[in-house]
Amino acid sequence: MRRLLLAAIFLVACLGAAPGAETPSELTLKPFVRGSWQDVLRSHAGRPTLVHFWGVTCGPCKVELPLLGQFMKDHSEIDVVMISADLVPNLDRATRAMLEKAGLGSAENWIFSDGFVERLRFEIDPAWQGDIPRTLLIGRDGTVTTIEGSAEIPDLEKWLIQQKATKK
Amino acid sequence: MLRMSLLAMLAFSLCQPAAHAQMSHHQHASEAACEEAILRCASKVTPAFAPDGTLWLVWMAGGQISVASSKDEGRSFSSPVQVTREKLNLDWGPDARPQIVIDKNGGIALAFSRFRDKAFNGQVLTTRSADGGQSFAELRPITSSNESQRFVALGLDADGSVFAAWIDKRNRAPAREEGRKYEGAGLFFASSKDGGASYSETRLAADNTCECCRLGLAFAGAGRPVVVFRNIFEGGVRDHAIMTFADPATPSEVRRVSHDDWQIAACPHHGPSLSISPAGTYHATWYTSGKARKGLFYARSQDEGRTFSDPLPLGRSDRNPTRPYVLAGPRGATMVWKEFDGEKTAVNAMTSHDEGTSWSKPVVIATTTDTSDHPLLVSAGQKTYLSWMTKADGYRLLPIGDGS
Repeated sequence: MRRLLLAAIFLVACLGAAPGAETPSELTLKPFVRGSWQDVLRSHAGRPTLVHFWGVTCGPCKVELPLLGQFMKDHSEIDVVMISADLVPNLDRATRAMLEKAGLGSAENWIFSDGFVERLRFEIDPAWQGDIPRTLLIGRDGTVTTIEGSAEIPDLEKWLIQQKATKK
Repeated sequence: MLRMSLLAMLAFSLCQPAAHAQMSHHQHASEAACEEAILRCASKVTPAFAPDGTLWLVWMAGGQISVASSKDEGRSFSSPVQVTREKLNLDWGPDARPQIVIDKNGGIALAFSRFRDKAFNGQVLTTRSADGGQSFAELRPITSSNESQRFVALGLDADGSVFAAWIDKRNRAPAREEGRKYEGAGLFFASSKDGGASYSETRLAADNTCECCRLGLAFAGAGRPVVVFRNIFEGGVRDHAIMTFADPATPSEVRRVSHDDWQIAACPHHGPSLSISPAGTYHATWYTSGKARKGLFYARSQDEGRTFSDPLPLGRSDRNPTRPYVLAGPRGATMVWKEFDGEKTAVNAMTSHDEGTSWSKPVVIATTTDTSDHPLLVSAGQKTYLSWMTKADGYRLLPIGDGS
């Protein structure tokens, strides 16, 4: 019971600390730090999840973001996790504006918040050198499909059909 | 001898004091150790030796660009001189860095880019010091164009003129207005006959190159700049290309460094490096994630970039090798790159004494446990040094074995 209470206090404290948590209409941008990647994997385990790495200075990302926004709107059955992976995590406002504009305000949104980006990237994929956009499609069984560069929406649709076929 | 000097360097690097305890908690999310304009707070540091052996650094810290010099191989520095007069939104892209060249009279030319608007459009600014770095002229844009410019590279030609190349998006809007698809950005260039005080009219060297990677710049002799860059080849393939200028005003054909076949619509943020030996050998290093090969590679050319040797892979693929840099010095060529083992970043070095035909085994010459700038090489006289800014341990200048 005591442990539960502590967990609840911790949860409330975390939510309170999240930027924008006071205004329900504003999107929540969670700080992505060491260990966050395991949190993402754990919290979506068993559900088809699209994880997208992007950044406010990335030209191709600007084109792709609204397409992903529409994809998310069309497919409420999958989890969409957006992670802003630009080098410097000081662009909170620009990040929010781009997500809102692309219709991704209600996605699960994170922003790299550790200056040691090499370590963050290494936890996600040791072979990833930071090129964005990058999409990871995580299947129900945990299988990860990596798409380097802009994802083609028909490819995402195909993956989704496969995921539906594996559903028991 | 080489092994001994590398070992000595390793010992030296391990003796560097760790500064974790001095860092305040709120700096954790930043790539810089602190927010002031001082060298200790820099995220990017670029070195250059003056002909008299003085080391000059230009750095980016606290939204300002500053310079300082050292006459004792980086052990102590002069009082810094601030180049910028106000805090700017400096280009913090992973491959952006301030550029510095020093002419034979001690004149210093600088160039760097800033983000000029909220859409992250860049602007290349230049300045020069005619009094040995005591003061710098007011910042001037390198071009009158208001389209985005980033990743400027400066080089000093044999006659003392300054050659500048950068990535520029000015051709994008006109192409789109005509309904043509436009990929990437253009490689543009200009030169300065007055030590970097003013630059010639901007000209196009190659269109549709990758828009987010550093350039490699060297000279194949007097008046012959050579630029290596990530190009966009047919089908959106972002492989590397090289151009040897006929003269500083005349670009020539785009030649391919390798067929990596990296088709990607993305910003790799990971550009190449180039150095040309006194014997005329082109040494190029780069990163790719192509279908043909993935990782860091080195190749050399002995026919001005018409053909390159088979790409030589660098580093351990399970340790995320990044940021390769090559420098051909008077006593051989040196290459450095970073590797990461999950906890610490190590700079690996290897050397060649036969124009890049064979290389020594890689040796770790420095490590750090927090974020770091690209490892760079700089030479003075017969010596080659690693120049490396780290968040935890500050700035380091380490001599690399002379290869004798």
